[in-house]
Amino acid sequence: MKQSKAQKVILIIIATLIAAVFIFPLLWMFFTSFKGMAESISSARLLPRNWTANNFIELFTVDTANAPIIRWLLNTAFISFGGTALVVITNTLAAYSIARLNLPAKRLFMFIIVASMTIPGIVIVFPRYFNFRDIGLLDTFAPLILPYAASTLGVFLIYSFLRNFPRDLEEAAYIDGANQLQILRHVIFPSIKPVIATLSVITFILIYNDFLWPLLVTNSAEMRTVTVGLANLVQGANFVNPGKMMASTLIATVPALVIFIFANRYFVKGVNSTGLK
Amino acid sequence: MKKLLLGSLLSSMVLLAACGNGETGAGDDTDNGNEEIPEEAADATVIRFLNGFTGGDGAFMKEIVDNFNDSQDEYFVNESQEPEHYTQFRTGDYELVVMHGVNLETYSMDGLIQPIDGILEDVGMSINDFHPAAEDLVGLTDGNYGIPLDIHPLTTFYNKNLTEEAPETYEDLVTLSEELQSENENLYAMGIPDSGLIEFYTLTLAAQNNVDLLSDDERYLNFAQEDLVDALWILHDMIYEDNISPEGLGLDGEFHAFMQDSEGDSGGNQTAVSLTGPWYYQAVSDAYGDDLGIGTIPQLGEQVAVYGNSHVISLAASVEDEDMLEGISAFIEFMYQPENLSNWAASGQAPLHTETMNYIEENAEDFPLPYQNQQMFDDYVAAPAVYQFGEQMRYMNETVIGRIVREENLTREELMEELETATGIAEEIADTAPEQ
Amino acid sequence: MKISKTVSTLMFLPFLLFFVLFWIIPFVYGIYVSFHNWTVSGGNNGFVGLDNYIRILTPGSMYHDSFMNALGNTLYFVGISLVPLVVFALLLALLIENIPGKLKVVFRTIFFISYAVSVTAVSAIFKWLFTGNGGYINNVLQTFGLDSIRWLNTQPYAWIAILAATVWWTIGYNMILFVNALDEVDESLYEAAALDGANAWQRFWNVTFPSIKGVFVFVVIITVIASFNLYGQTLLITEGGPARSTMSLTMIIQNTIFSQNNLGMGSAMAVLMGIIMVFITGIQYMIGFRKDENG
Repeated sequence: MKQSKAQKVILIIIATLIAAVFIFPLLWMFFTSFKGMAESISSARLLPRNWTANNFIELFTVDTANAPIIRWLLNTAFISFGGTALVVITNTLAAYSIARLNLPAKRLFMFIIVASMTIPGIVIVFPRYFNFRDIGLLDTFAPLILPYAASTLGVFLIYSFLRNFPRDLEEAAYIDGANQLQILRHVIFPSIKPVIATLSVITFILIYNDFLWPLLVTNSAEMRTVTVGLANLVQGANFVNPGKMMASTLIATVPALVIFIFANRYFVKGVNSTGLK
Repeated sequence: MKKLLLGSLLSSMVLLAACGNGETGAGDDTDNGNEEIPEEAADATVIRFLNGFTGGDGAFMKEIVDNFNDSQDEYFVNESQEPEHYTQFRTGDYELVVMHGVNLETYSMDGLIQPIDGILEDVGMSINDFHPAAEDLVGLTDGNYGIPLDIHPLTTFYNKNLTEEAPETYEDLVTLSEELQSENENLYAMGIPDSGLIEFYTLTLAAQNNVDLLSDDERYLNFAQEDLVDALWILHDMIYEDNISPEGLGLDGEFHAFMQDSEGDSGGNQTAVSLTGPWYYQAVSDAYGDDLGIGTIPQLGEQVAVYGNSHVISLAASVEDEDMLEGISAFIEFMYQPENLSNWAASGQAPLHTETMNYIEENAEDFPLPYQNQQMFDDYVAAPAVYQFGEQMRYMNETVIGRIVREENLTREELMEELETATGIAEEIADTAPEQ
Repeated sequence: MKISKTVSTLMFLPFLLFFVLFWIIPFVYGIYVSFHNWTVSGGNNGFVGLDNYIRILTPGSMYHDSFMNALGNTLYFVGISLVPLVVFALLLALLIENIPGKLKVVFRTIFFISYAVSVTAVSAIFKWLFTGNGGYINNVLQTFGLDSIRWLNTQPYAWIAILAATVWWTIGYNMILFVNALDEVDESLYEAAALDGANAWQRFWNVTFPSIKGVFVFVVIITVIASFNLYGQTLLITEGGPARSTMSLTMIIQNTIFSQNNLGMGSAMAVLMGIIMVFITGIQYMIGFRKDENG
């Protein structure tokens, strides 16, 4: 579509205004974290009148016992990366097996997988909590990582992709004497990379942002994820100081923002090549 | 197919178990008040002691525990401070747990805690070694279900820049508010929140107006009483009749209003007095320093009375072992020495143990908050012992008080209807109690 | 190709294992529990058939009142969030599509970035921004001589605050889906439309929208599901208030199970919520699908 220069300028101005609205809460978080208690509890100014780093200093000294933010970040990183890797591996193998291999009852499995996608998570989440409680694994990494591998989205995405993908290369490799794992690694994997990139980003965001599940299965401060740990601070009587609240929020948010700025182009590219439409 | 499922189930169990163990081991390395058991205590009997002191008070309890562990080597108290320690207690193995007084009935009915009289006897103590308020707190029909640790009553903080002394009566509050308003219309005497500390406000007002909330069959909270309408209407009057409190403060509004700075660039409403939880002491003293005053509860109704929640130490129902019981007795005996328990008072909590109270009285300078709060113990009224107390109160907290605080045009009849709804819910909750 | 069943099964096995353990078993267990009087601390107290469901669905019990109230609140939120989250997202995507070159990437990243903030951080920020007494937004209003508003404890303002937080948080996700769909629209169709003298609206309605309709229906469906699962924002920003008016279904279910110690009743509520969601999703799917046939 052709636009005049004036039209372009107007569009850019509109976009800039909207962008300002989007950025504002983050700016407010940033500046409030440098305010002292009295000022942060009530002020009409965005910028601090008196800049102070006390909120951050206290977070890393006196509050480390009940608000170990760095530990929460490490937990979250471990869970998000570990869970994503687990999902990608199991889902790829499963989808490959259904789409290309000689799996018994594959139609039944595919039917169950698609049917399960229509059942909302709320039906599963509480009974699953009690399953974990009964085998004594609450407050460990097991419930924080393993259940995500029951996700069927990836199986569905990769299966849909493979179904429409020609088999010529695989057959050639087979005649050359490659086994199934080699074919998966050297032939299939390179071609489904975009799907896997998308699946990884979606899964990563899903695990990183999950709130109810980690809230249920963790009890102790050191097993919390960032999302759940911060929730305890928002609700708790201990953090009555919004400046300190925003300092902890800032620390918890920055790593995710950085990862996101670098990874979002994969998301943008990847969604195109999947069945998400 | 069946074999496949079964096989996968079994192997996954192994996997899970392996994963679980490995990770728990890793988790224990970090310090969260969870102590590693030191080598010299390897032969000691380990007492697992669970509490929810994840705020500033946690360090003070830890000091008592550490001192006990250092004082002898026969027993070792392994303390865990967990934010959701009730869930933890229901699902894990512990010998001792710190509970809130209002939860004793529920946990004893659910068969999770047992009477603690044997321990008291062992250490040569009885309920008479505590302030008389303790009896109501821990005494259920078949024994005492906890050793009283402290009461945290509704606490009166005041800002000395705005008032020289704490108001003692309703009239004092009216006068104070008039003075402040004439100075600056953003200033008020005190603030009434629409949610948050509702349990404290409701029970304090009920006690001040001599309302007994326990139903005739002693199972549920009966809110549907004309006397309670009168008592709660005081809140409505304070906001809409006498202008003591700003309108429509939100969650924890009594605290936030106290912390506002009406001189600054904010347009918020500031109050001179705050009736709030003692756990805000750190925050208010950081903000006001020497200008912070601590008072006793003003008389808003017909008499002076105050409600607050309490911490008590309870014994898990599963503990039977003699050696374990002896160890627990030794720990309790140690903790309830005034010089040790005063550590707990140093956190701002007000112990109920008479000897410790005397110690605090003598050293009032060092314990400003516990000293003020223990002055109110004579006027303390405990919550009725009912099953699932918190759930029975929930509708009051979520709906009823909020309407009083927010709705200027609310009528007494409408309030009565809401109290009937609240009572109905409380009764339904009481019906879910396990049969005894 | 001749592939052994063993190899095929072995490759499928890891996924199957997790799926059975963490999906099939909890699913069956949840339904099983919902037919029992089951407490968290005491365990199974016997089979009660459809009793739990009947008490939720017939008036006169607190379970009925709280479930219906929460269902109403949740549906209300689904209703008010749909237009901002879908239509505004599409408008943002269209805006971005018409911005040239590198700036496009910059704006796309800015509009999408808040999605990287976790729900608790979002809630913490918006809770303090909207606080009634002394909150930033009220202070700014007062600076302009306007009356402050009790955002978090009066309606409709509490919903507005929650909606604002939700839109800020998640609109970028929907926008990206639309951006991708718009990228794929065949340029030649626009050129043909331009030759026919179509104006901007006609171009959108006759060319753009039909091309992205599949994605549009998909976005509507996932948005409704996400809004139905409303939990973190209302738990942290308003705590379900004022007067339970922002209490969502997930909050009620969690409260029934853990605070009221009633796993059987809570499970029945969860199953009911699941059925309602499947039903609503099914209707949307059918409507979207039928229109496809007509078009």
